[in-house]
Amino acid sequence: MVKLKTNHGDILLELDAAKAPLTVENFLQYVRDGFFNDTLFHRVIDGFMVQGGGMNLDMSQKATRAPVKNEADNGLKNDAYTIAMARTSDPHSATAQFFINVGNNDFLNHSAPTPNGWGYCVFGKVTEGQDVVDKIRKVRTGNKAGHQDVPVENVVIESAEIL
Amino acid sequence: MKHTLFISDLHLCHTRPAVNTLFERFLSDIAPQAEALYILGDFFEYWAGDDDLIEPLHTSIAQQLSRLAASGTRLYLMHGNRDFLIGEAFQRAAHITLLPDPTLIDLYGQPTLLMHGDTLCSDDVEYQTFRSQVRDPSWQQSFLATPLSARKAQIEALRQRSEQEKSSKTAEIMDTNPDTVAATLRAYHYPRLIHGHTHRPTRHMHTVDGKTCERWVLTDWYNSGGYLRCDAVGCVAHGLEIFNS
Repeated sequence: MVKLKTNHGDILLELDAAKAPLTVENFLQYVRDGFFNDTLFHRVIDGFMVQGGGMNLDMSQKATRAPVKNEADNGLKNDAYTIAMARTSDPHSATAQFFINVGNNDFLNHSAPTPNGWGYCVFGKVTEGQDVVDKIRKVRTGNKAGHQDVPVENVVIESAEIL
Repeated sequence: MKHTLFISDLHLCHTRPAVNTLFERFLSDIAPQAEALYILGDFFEYWAGDDDLIEPLHTSIAQQLSRLAASGTRLYLMHGNRDFLIGEAFQRAAHITLLPDPTLIDLYGQPTLLMHGDTLCSDDVEYQTFRSQVRDPSWQQSFLATPLSARKAQIEALRQRSEQEKSSKTAEIMDTNPDTVAATLRAYHYPRLIHGHTHRPTRHMHTVDGKTCERWVLTDWYNSGGYLRCDAVGCVAHGLEIFNS
């Protein structure tokens, strides 16, 4: 269990180490290192997802460790209120950034071990604080520092801790 | 560097809003840098006729394409097995030019054959029979004469049956037939070939009569989509960056 303390409230995450062992361990290491403290939910798209864990408060990008293997073929689906790893179009490029689905995003699910079919690895879900996620998904967004869908007023992950 | 983009098999439909958003982003962020964009079929999940332009998604797509054309990117479209009824009105609204299938172009000095790809799947006899029926101009004329709502109902019924049949057809039938590919390459004097339809994106190399030909299959957009980028150096397949991380 991991608790994210945000400036909108707490989000409790139950992680599935059985289904996504490498991803969960990678995430927990960032939590232990205090990496997520004072980072932003920097990309919010209502109906799709809220993404964070990689930007400082000034929108500069944090340096991460090496990428983690994609475990999206674990059968877990990108359903609403699950948490998954963000990455580039390279299937095995996920590092620190994650997103919480705020819709059933079928098109993100693993369909084949090909560059286009790999999908995005779900590694847990929000067990408490769905109402906090719902507050975050509704914030006003705009363009900032060359990025789109950035909350006009910072949505901050004040701290992340293992319970 | 001057480059051209190729996409296909988006199957745009109001029931899949996430993909529509992905495509919107592609049109605003990636496509304007290209000197030309080719859409090689199955752009829409279905197309009942140009009078269906009034559907909000269709209007919006036409407007966005037209804006892209206005910014200087040349737009080309090919019919697929789903949207072969796209006609003049859509072309005008979207500022896009319909190309015959196949079309041979000069792509930065490399002769390149563009196809949707359904005609290469010659083992799918049932489909080829269906195709010759629905591509017949008199069939199309009488179909388009029926009310839009009736056409849409018929298409929906066909789509349901097609989904069911896909699960029973073997994998071999639904892929391209190697002899048909070879014959096509031979007929067009061994060009590079770019097509979609099979939803098996990859790059193949074929040796026909001692000549080596490159065949690129485009990705569908059922997952996270992608495009083929070609320039004077060659072609590279790209996935879409959904999370930019």
